[in-house]
Amino acid sequence: MSDETEPAETIEDLRKSFWYGSRSNLSFKYLKDLSDAEFGDFVDELLTEVASMIDSGDPTGVIDAAYRWQIQAYTGHLGDPNDFPHRFDDVPINPLPKPLSECRVTLLSSSGHFVAGDDPKPFGVESMTQAEAEARIGEFLKEAPSLSSIPVDVDPAELRVRHGGYPTDAVRSDHQVGFPIGHLADLAADGVIGALNPTAFSFVGAASQVRLKRMVAPEWAEQLGNDGKTDVVFLVPL
Amino acid sequence: MPTVSVYVRSFGHLPELMGLSRSLITRHPMGRPLGAPGDGERQRAVIEAALALLESADQTIVEFAEPYRTGSRR
Repeated sequence: MSDETEPAETIEDLRKSFWYGSRSNLSFKYLKDLSDAEFGDFVDELLTEVASMIDSGDPTGVIDAAYRWQIQAYTGHLGDPNDFPHRFDDVPINPLPKPLSECRVTLLSSSGHFVAGDDPKPFGVESMTQAEAEARIGEFLKEAPSLSSIPVDVDPAELRVRHGGYPTDAVRSDHQVGFPIGHLADLAADGVIGALNPTAFSFVGAASQVRLKRMVAPEWAEQLGNDGKTDVVFLVPL
Repeated sequence: MPTVSVYVRSFGHLPELMGLSRSLITRHPMGRPLGAPGDGERQRAVIEAALALLESADQTIVEFAEPYRTGSRR
């Protein structure tokens, strides 16, 4: 029996519980940003598609509903673009220095990958679990990220991923979803790109964006610009 | 230094706001920018489409047209 003194959970409480709350779910944390009415429409649409899938066995409608509402949540409440804190009005187009088939490409992903035995140890914690990273997301968002160097010929079994900001299930089962070292190596072998930097890089993008922009990103850019192995950077933000 | 980035549609507004030079936007759910796990064909197609932007100086943000597909939809 429920405690009569405990206040009833509101729809707003329910929505917000998916955002690092009692029902934390990185695939659906965006529900926090929907209005109550939108949340009702989301649940209605999702349940309708689930009922349809029970008979058809086709998950297309369920996936599409989750995808559409994800977009609505992230882009439907943006507000004034002038208030976006990391806005740049200049778009610097740097032309390729030579044909792509001769360019050396470096992979930089914000996937949160690292190699077993080379744990970046956030806050000094070795072997921090994914659950703990999610629970400490507020601390991650205040700190500068650290960059993990990963040999592109690493045994995939030695790859680890930990990131409290996005659903990692897909990259955990197939790193190439967000850290495509194998595909880029194949493209180098096929002559589409000139070469792949033998070292790829990954960091946790859920970090202080100010520290990233002002402190570490300029250092990383200088490092890549001077390494003699990089003509082009392939970026995969997660 | 030339760069190209791959964003999922949910974050597809960011390249324009941040003034990124070349970005490919995929119609994929969050956490799956290049495609579904095990869908190497789609993952490589996305990468090749993104790399192709490097050779174009006039298209900064382009959408990858194909919708998301899972293993059961291939």
